Amino acid sequence: MLIRVLIIIGVLALASLGYLWMSRRDGAVRRVEVSGSVSSETLGATRGYRATFVQFSTPLCAKCPGTATLLKQVASEYKDVAHIEIDASERLDLARRFDVMRTPTILVLDTDGVVVARMSGAPSVSQARESLDAAPPLSQPYSI
Amino acid sequence: MTHESQAPLANPASTDVRIDVRGPRFGAAVTLVLALIALLLGATVAGVVLMAVLAVLFVPGAIVGPQATLQASLFKRFVLPRLAPTTETESFRAPRFAQQIGLAFSVLAVLFGALDSSVGFFIFAGFVTVASFLNAVFNFCLGCEIYLLAKRSTTRHA
Repeated sequence: MLIRVLIIIGVLALASLGYLWMSRRDGAVRRVEVSGSVSSETLGATRGYRATFVQFSTPLCAKCPGTATLLKQVASEYKDVAHIEIDASERLDLARRFDVMRTPTILVLDTDGVVVARMSGAPSVSQARESLDAAPPLSQPYSI
Repeated sequence: MTHESQAPLANPASTDVRIDVRGPRFGAAVTLVLALIALLLGATVAGVVLMAVLAVLFVPGAIVGPQATLQASLFKRFVLPRLAPTTETESFRAPRFAQQIGLAFSVLAVLFGALDSSVGFFIFAGFVTVASFLNAVFNFCLGCEIYLLAKRSTTRHA
């Protein structure tokens, strides 16, 4: 009986470690270089002047609504940062263009609509803030 | 597993039912307790009967969805009133698939147990235990992930 208990504990511990290892990179910020920019027209919504969170979601994605709320909240803390949510199952063109493999996946666009960072999996607040470092605030625009 | 509100989706043609995300997690905790006891009892009559009970509990979930199970009514009646009101909902489809997997594996455990195969019993009861453990403790639904992977690979691309 004791052996059995130990084996059960061992298996559950292994499963826990496996899960924690698999999810360690969730929401981690990756700086990327992708050529070409994405326009507001392509996205179907207006980009942010400084930066844009483009979140790819699907109807079945359990963590997506929470992530959208979180990113909208973070975006509101900064000047000129927008959040756009895209249904990946409807915009397969965008999902394939950006290699969206899972949801939520969040692309960070800079002021020119160029992808500068991405997060795969639900990010934390600090990860979302960290990702905006890739799109720094703009110096004074238009000083005539 | 609570107010099954019909939330309008991007695709209006599909009738989706949204459930409180905490409901299936509570159901997983119930499953975990039963499956653990079954593992400790082993492929004895008591253990097999317990897995059979678990299989029966999975049946309404496998057909309709987790919101139709006995665990869900317990959740709605005793647990939900003590929690903060529902803020986060999810589609019932992926959790329902997870219930179907749970049903299949419990039935297999019962079959192997009834045929006196301890190894088979432990393997399938073990799977149910691990899956319900991950769901209850880490809020990670293994069946849901499999469902989503299967959907992704079978959907025709535009």
